[in-house]
Amino acid sequence: MFGQSQTSLHTHRPTPTTASFTVSTRSSKSKAFLTYVSLILRLICGLFVILVVWTKCQTFGMGIRAWLPTLGRFAQLEVPSRLPWRYLLPGACAVIWTVSRRGYTEESLLVLRGLGMQVSSSSAAYLSAPVTRFIPTTSIQDIFIHEAFKGFEVRFYLAIVVEGEEDTVVVFPNLLPKRQILEEVWRGAKACLYEPKS
Amino acid sequence: MGYTIAMACDFFYPQPGGVESHIYQLSSKLIDRGHKVIIITHAYKGRAGVRYLTNGLKVYHVPFLVIFRESTFPTVFSFFPIFRNIILRERIEIVHGHASLSSICHEAILHARTMGLRTVFTDHSLFGFADAASILTNKLLKFTLSDVDHVICVSHTCKENTVLRASLDPLMVSVIPNAVVADNFRPLSDSHPPPEGPLPPSSPQPHRLSPNSTITIVVISRLFYNKGTDLLIAAIPRILAVHPHVRFIIAGSGPKSIDLEQMIERNVLQDRVELLGPIRHEEVRDVMVRGQIYLHPSLTEAFGTVIVEAASCGLYVVCTRVGGIPEVLPEHMTVFAKPEEDDLVVATGTAIAALRANKVRTERFHEQVRMMYSWTDVAERTERVYDGISGVLSEEEFYGYRGGVGGGVVGGAAAIAGNSNSNSKSNSSEAWNATKGRAGVQSFALIDRLKRYYGCGIWAGKLFCLCVVVDYLLFIFLELWFPRANIDVARDWPKKKMAAAGAEQAELGRKRSARYREKRRE
Repeated sequence: MFGQSQTSLHTHRPTPTTASFTVSTRSSKSKAFLTYVSLILRLICGLFVILVVWTKCQTFGMGIRAWLPTLGRFAQLEVPSRLPWRYLLPGACAVIWTVSRRGYTEESLLVLRGLGMQVSSSSAAYLSAPVTRFIPTTSIQDIFIHEAFKGFEVRFYLAIVVEGEEDTVVVFPNLLPKRQILEEVWRGAKACLYEPKS
Repeated sequence: MGYTIAMACDFFYPQPGGVESHIYQLSSKLIDRGHKVIIITHAYKGRAGVRYLTNGLKVYHVPFLVIFRESTFPTVFSFFPIFRNIILRERIEIVHGHASLSSICHEAILHARTMGLRTVFTDHSLFGFADAASILTNKLLKFTLSDVDHVICVSHTCKENTVLRASLDPLMVSVIPNAVVADNFRPLSDSHPPPEGPLPPSSPQPHRLSPNSTITIVVISRLFYNKGTDLLIAAIPRILAVHPHVRFIIAGSGPKSIDLEQMIERNVLQDRVELLGPIRHEEVRDVMVRGQIYLHPSLTEAFGTVIVEAASCGLYVVCTRVGGIPEVLPEHMTVFAKPEEDDLVVATGTAIAALRANKVRTERFHEQVRMMYSWTDVAERTERVYDGISGVLSEEEFYGYRGGVGGGVVGGAAAIAGNSNSNSKSNSSEAWNATKGRAGVQSFALIDRLKRYYGCGIWAGKLFCLCVVVDYLLFIFLELWFPRANIDVARDWPKKKMAAAGAEQAELGRKRSARYREKRRE
């Protein structure tokens, strides 16, 4: 509901027969610095938590101390050894989970004339692959924009009709951007997918 | 560009029925007149989501409601978020609810008033005052209609009924009848367009009857108590006993069909009474043209579209004098009976005798009905109601001279009255407005609305006020949680002629109405 207004569209056309439309909730380039800072912070946090868990393991004498003496000394610190497992393990999981959240969603449509279309949605976390699907041109029957009920709203969506499938493939299924963006993508995709009639 | 109107009703296609076809026909004619119309209804089996019908009529089958309908959760407020979303994305100005038993309609009107929109309600049925169900329905109706801009009824009887049930000011109730698509109900003889002008008396009649030829009486109705099936069951053996060359064709289904079958078997009338069972609306004409008389024994009826259809098919109509039926057709097309067995038999006898004597020019009925009832006319009159409530027509013009809308008897004197006069008049009526809920340009202020609801009853008034306050709070909450700016505005259906003229779509509300009025006045 709030994210909807912040979606932005980036169109990339390397060649006349290729177009990529990316819709993202990521903040614009001016805040790139902040993104890097937060990435570094996340990295530090994540590493720290892993370290704490690891040292906790050490106190149980799991025999790793031998080959990493420097960190072994850290293990003698009081804090990790005092924390009981029942707090440490859920806490560590929560921190890792938080740190690995992407914080934004990015969904894209790649159109290649003569080949087909690829829809992809970024996963919610870093380090996991985006969900992608490729639809060859021969099985694309139509691309259209329609409306549907979603939650308390009626939203526009761009859908691809695939031959031999009962359900359509919704492009940008998580973000469901505004009609204006969808129309732009729809025009661009149509123009790119099919040979211009000359 | 005209108005943007949302029709809200539980009853819509694919379910067949009179209200459904009324909404569809009215909407498509309003679209033809340059308005934008959408329909909000609930999801039917296999029909959910957003659909387009012919002519760009957009239908929202809201799936959300059905979830709560099946569990008995009160749906009063749960519909609001999605309703608001639809209203904003379609930029609706007028919400038009139909049928008093439809909960979507009542909720839509309540929420629309909270959102500051004009509302119209159309009543399609008559109700009693005595039994518990009626009392409850009437209370609910009173709640909704306390704060509605205008009410439309399908007949004068229906108007009387509604005014009493909901304690309305009769001035804010208009009568706009139903109509029929006359082309779908042609008599048997003319499958081609009828000749121009009245037929000369000497021209051969399509069905001139000799004294011994068979007369077929058609009955098409759902076989329910209120449709007078018991009356029919009692009358058929007596009619058939008196008139040897008469047959019956009965179409329709319902709980009374067993009684009907029993009657036929008891009296051994299988060869003279044909039961067709349920038929589709498209088949009605084909059944009707098989007969010469249409018998309508209904006990209560707000309008009775079916008798207009029968007359359009060239049938002589025998009907009970109940509800709005006497208003529907002129004297020469009908024989009226009291809603009792003896009188119905006598009336049917009269009709048979008149037909045998060739006194009734049934072949002219079609053309006459076509002149009387058309959906275009209904749409025009409804449009006038919209003009009235949105302030395009002045109060005097709308309420004082009601020839076009209400068929009232008040002349144009008020309309001619001078400006100074009208000013003082509007001042005096303003004080009256606030509590009484008189239409015209009604105030949207919450306190005024509460005043209107408070007058509904000792306990009911307070309960209604509570509902309205909660509704208003919900509205404020929604404004914060789902800001207007984030709602995508839907594209209008491209119009053939209006495309060039309606370029300035962003403009809203009164400004457009004013411009529209100027265009109309030219």
